[in-house]
Amino acid sequence: MIVEFVPAPVTAGKLMDLTLLGQQLVNGLVNGMSYVLISTGLTLVFGVLRVINFAHGEFYMLGAFLTYYGMTVAGIGYIPAAILSTMAVGGLGVAVNNLFFWPLRREHEFTILLSSLGMSLLITHLAELGFGHDPKYLSSPFTDDILELGSIIMTAQRAVIFIVSIAVLALTYAAIRYTTFGKMMRATAQNPEGAALTGVNIRFVHSFTFVLACGLAALAGAMVGPLAMIFPTVGSWAVLKGFIVVVLGGLGSVPGALVGGLSLGVIEALAGGYVSLGFMEAIGYAIIILVLLWRPQGLFGVTADGR
Amino acid sequence: MKYLKPASAALMLGLAALSASFARAQTQPPIKIAAIVPQSGAGAFDGQLALEGMQAEVELINAKGGLLGGRKIELVVYDDKGTPEEGVSAAKRAIEQDNVDLIVGGWFSAVALSMKEVTRDKIISVMTSSQHPDVTAKGHKYLVRLNATSAMMSQKYSQDICARIKPKSVAFITINDDFGRLEIENYTKLLGACGVEIKGNEFYNRNDTDFNVALTKLKSLNPDAIYVSAINTSQGATIYRQARQTGFKGTLIASAGNMNPKLVELAGPSLEGVYSISLYAPDNDNAMLRAWTAQYGKMFKNQPAFIGTLGAQAVEVLAAAVNKAGSSRDYDKIAAAMKGQTWPTLLGEIKIDDAGQAMQNLYLIKVEKGQIVTAK
Repeated sequence: MIVEFVPAPVTAGKLMDLTLLGQQLVNGLVNGMSYVLISTGLTLVFGVLRVINFAHGEFYMLGAFLTYYGMTVAGIGYIPAAILSTMAVGGLGVAVNNLFFWPLRREHEFTILLSSLGMSLLITHLAELGFGHDPKYLSSPFTDDILELGSIIMTAQRAVIFIVSIAVLALTYAAIRYTTFGKMMRATAQNPEGAALTGVNIRFVHSFTFVLACGLAALAGAMVGPLAMIFPTVGSWAVLKGFIVVVLGGLGSVPGALVGGLSLGVIEALAGGYVSLGFMEAIGYAIIILVLLWRPQGLFGVTADGR
Repeated sequence: MKYLKPASAALMLGLAALSASFARAQTQPPIKIAAIVPQSGAGAFDGQLALEGMQAEVELINAKGGLLGGRKIELVVYDDKGTPEEGVSAAKRAIEQDNVDLIVGGWFSAVALSMKEVTRDKIISVMTSSQHPDVTAKGHKYLVRLNATSAMMSQKYSQDICARIKPKSVAFITINDDFGRLEIENYTKLLGACGVEIKGNEFYNRNDTDFNVALTKLKSLNPDAIYVSAINTSQGATIYRQARQTGFKGTLIASAGNMNPKLVELAGPSLEGVYSISLYAPDNDNAMLRAWTAQYGKMFKNQPAFIGTLGAQAVEVLAAAVNKAGSSRDYDKIAAAMKGQTWPTLLGEIKIDDAGQAMQNLYLIKVEKGQIVTAK
């Protein structure tokens, strides 16, 4: 007897399922890319300065608000406003390092950690006073443009987030890898005293790392801001996602932030899409616990003894 | 000479007494109403709108000469921070330290539920926007609540959805808390009863900022309408925008009582054609509403919102009842006056039942060309 193999016909229902899967993967990758942008600054600051910066989310918030005010008060377009706010918040990084973290650099890690928490609260409350409690909408010309890639739908803003993030991250990575300044950064990260002895200006490296970190966070704020509403406490969301990614990828590891961020985005989208959105937040915390139990140094992190 | 001193002293005393009584006739003490509103925390903006609504109404009443033959109303403002603890402490301060005559508060159910225990049978308390049934079901003899309960709203709204919006099927996106779960339970039953197919529900959390994943899933179920249950304006605005951004072209329905000008401003074109139900229809041709709206526009920058009209209504009902009772302190008489008759207010006629629950008109409203209007 011959048993004929008949391939199951592709039904409309199955196509539907595949479209949904593709759509959720795209949603996850775009969200993930914004997590990467946020957490790269967080991980750089830890890698170079050994500072866990709780105020990182506030630079994300400032990036979004300065873009908003650039557009509504100064009357400039979205793209120049986003670039200016990124530069302004980057510039703020110099002040933050010189006023807060540089004077504290020889203090105990907990002192620095608590100071960053204090700074986070200070910036949030000042923002509530200055910007008001009411939510605002950062309007980008790309938000409501819908791109259809086959049956997968995405707004132009999400495409912008993905493409700009890849470009900016590639530049950041290349700068760390191939420029003299990048070498100085890596030297400082490996051994600050040794680097100082060979003539590296540690204070300058610290300041510049902060400029980079704050600028990346602000850029993320300017690009992700238009997807939702912005309000002064929005930074706490950003820093939370940033920490989950950094724990997942390994504190101080830039490739770790990339893989960690994209994984978190995709895992959230698939779990949210196929299990329940109610669990999405819990999944981030579950990941932290699992990683800390199984690989405390993170996926790409290095332990103290070099493993 | 010997008699002159006591005589002049007596004269002085007499004069002093006379001038004091003259002064009293000139400036009678104000009637103090405690306005307990959230002025900080997540509800701060709503609290501001509420207080502005009350202030505009007080201005109108005082301009007409106040109450009880010339006593002006004075608002004493307290911040409840949107939390039960602060609400309780504010009510205690109002009663014990500031000796207020009447209290208006209870914008959030959690605050109203605990605050009513401090004011229980002690002082007239008007609870405003809270929707929890227990505020009046377990209220007290001096308590009145203006807003419709969630059950009253869903009863009326589901009739409107079935008879006028007429979706064949509906999917829900609701907040993952007591309110959201109650909504799902109510509407699944009520809409199911008139033949609307329920395609599914997605819960979201209080701190979520991205709803794309949930909305993608709901869109793939292909419902005629998506019912959005969002009490927080910023999350609501994001959901409406993202729903359109996923390419959903069907009807969007906003949960009862959650439509306001700020939402319209933030959500932009995505809110066009969205329905809701409210005690307040801004285009209503009511003389009291028009007077209040004009006064509000003179005093404040914000657009008048539902929450502001409730604040104004609280002041209106209290003022009318105080006048009728002939006292700002005889609480039995004031409570009886409030519950005794139908009162005209800026939101239309209001009748308060024995438990203190107000019966008011509910309007089906819709966003048209960026304005909230009564659905025709």
